[in-house]
Amino acid sequence: MKAMIIDDEPPARRELRRLLDEFAWVEIVGEAGNVDQADEMITSLTPELLFLDIQMPGGTGFDLLTRLEDVPQVIFTTAYDQHAVRAFEVDALDYLLKPIDPARLTEALSRARSVNAARTPHPGAVLEQIFVRDGDRCWFVPLREVRLLTSEGNYIRLSWGKEKPLLGRALAALEQRLDPNRFFRANRRQIINLDFIESVDLGVNGRLHAQLRDGAEVEISRRQARLFKTKMSI
Amino acid sequence: MNDAERPIAPPKSQLAYWIFQLTGWGAYSLSRFFGGVSVMNLPWVHFGLQLLLVDALGFWLSHLLRDYVRRHQWRALPIRKLSLRIVAAAIVCGIPLGILTQFTDVALLQDPNQLLEGVSSALRFQLALPVAIALQIVNWSVVFLIWLTLYFTALAVREHRSAQLRQSELARALHLAELRLLKSQLNPHFLFNALNTVRSLIADDPARAQNAVTHLANTLRYTLNSRQDELVTLSQEMDIVADYLELESMRCEDRLRIEKQVPAEAAGVRIPVMLLQTLVENAIKHGIAELPAGGVLRISAAVKDDMLNLEVENPRSAAPTNAAHESVGLRNARDRLRLLFGARASLDLDLSRPAVATARLRIPLQL
Repeated sequence: MKAMIIDDEPPARRELRRLLDEFAWVEIVGEAGNVDQADEMITSLTPELLFLDIQMPGGTGFDLLTRLEDVPQVIFTTAYDQHAVRAFEVDALDYLLKPIDPARLTEALSRARSVNAARTPHPGAVLEQIFVRDGDRCWFVPLREVRLLTSEGNYIRLSWGKEKPLLGRALAALEQRLDPNRFFRANRRQIINLDFIESVDLGVNGRLHAQLRDGAEVEISRRQARLFKTKMSI
Repeated sequence: MNDAERPIAPPKSQLAYWIFQLTGWGAYSLSRFFGGVSVMNLPWVHFGLQLLLVDALGFWLSHLLRDYVRRHQWRALPIRKLSLRIVAAAIVCGIPLGILTQFTDVALLQDPNQLLEGVSSALRFQLALPVAIALQIVNWSVVFLIWLTLYFTALAVREHRSAQLRQSELARALHLAELRLLKSQLNPHFLFNALNTVRSLIADDPARAQNAVTHLANTLRYTLNSRQDELVTLSQEMDIVADYLELESMRCEDRLRIEKQVPAEAAGVRIPVMLLQTLVENAIKHGIAELPAGGVLRISAAVKDDMLNLEVENPRSAAPTNAAHESVGLRNARDRLRLLFGARASLDLDLSRPAVATARLRIPLQL
């Protein structure tokens, strides 16, 4: 498993590296001391796991995550910001308190390994999860669980679980990275997750309407209707 | 005073009042009834009727009295004024009751057909009318005096208890505030990062790890003691700043560079404890720690015109991310200065130069 250490303090990086020596299956592909450096290195080295400090010069660990297009698995390492990490809505991540307890590190790593094994290996372009920060709240959103993506200007409203967070990206750009077997462009403003379609009806205006499992109704544009029928084999 | 302004007693004390009021009057009436019937041989139906009438009035009057006393806030009065009023109120209540008792005595008990015998009954009816009335009034006034004394004693006891409760709550709040202050002074973020550095150094460089433990111990000891001494000499404060900076440079390594300039005449000047330390911490937290390349922290002191001038200068990023926190630390420092020196001391943060922050502290040499 390719991992990267992101922390502004050299002693802290050395200490973590030493602790990770025990785990032969974790390969440390790089170290970064600030957000800019980390951003570049992640793009080129494509690590599967980040050890991420929160307080860093030039931006926090959260800032880094919002900048990343493709978010790998994250284990936060922090001296005293556990409350910041706990602000997360989903425990799809782990945090370690510095000085790091080796037993806790072992636990976090084995969890990361099992999550990694469950991920479908999509070579290249398909996004697995994204990091969303909306106001004070942040989430790691697994894309396969998103029912509907609605364009709102330069933002995207994600319908996911009980939440509807706003993601700071354009729908057209994100569309390129979505799994084409799962997501379908229903109309100019919306992309639906085919896994969440409950039923398809013919509306009064003669257009197809997809009813999602949460009750939301999405109109399929005329241009896309034919493609949609083939996809759904109806 | 209208109803809205009247102090509202909690339901518990209302209940206590009614219990005391009913049992008090009940016991008083019953004891007189049995005394009158058995010792003085009074006819029990007539005597009972008289007691019922008179004591009901007494009961009602005392209840009115309580209402009056509460409405006029008697419990807030000094003890001398209160005693005079209690005596006056007892007499005022005693008059109607004394008169009523005398006339009901005559009407109900001095029945010529009832042969009343014995010394007590003879005495009871053989006094001249004005004397008899006066005696009854005195008798009732004493009863009301006792009632009022009991009432105000109960009030005093209750107030004393709630005052004690408030006192202990206050003490608890003070402790909490102290604890919060201590926690902010100990700066957990710094503490745990320092411990992490020590852990790393134990493997990398054991000798430096040993030094780091000493610096950390000095810093903690100073912080804990800082609650006892409000003022320390600049050289004492500089020692602890040095310990702190030593730890921070182990953490940041080459990102933090330090320049110090403290002339001998400034070293002995007394300054508020932890004040320079706060400025240095701010300079790192909001300045150098925000810069990927780090920078130089400058501390300089000078004595001029009976004033100590201290400067802490640090590079800062163009877009500060923690501007709000910075002002909190500085505001606390300013508050402390004002409490100690009034208007003679000052603390300013100069952000006029781009990418540089300078904190300037001016403290008088004499307190």
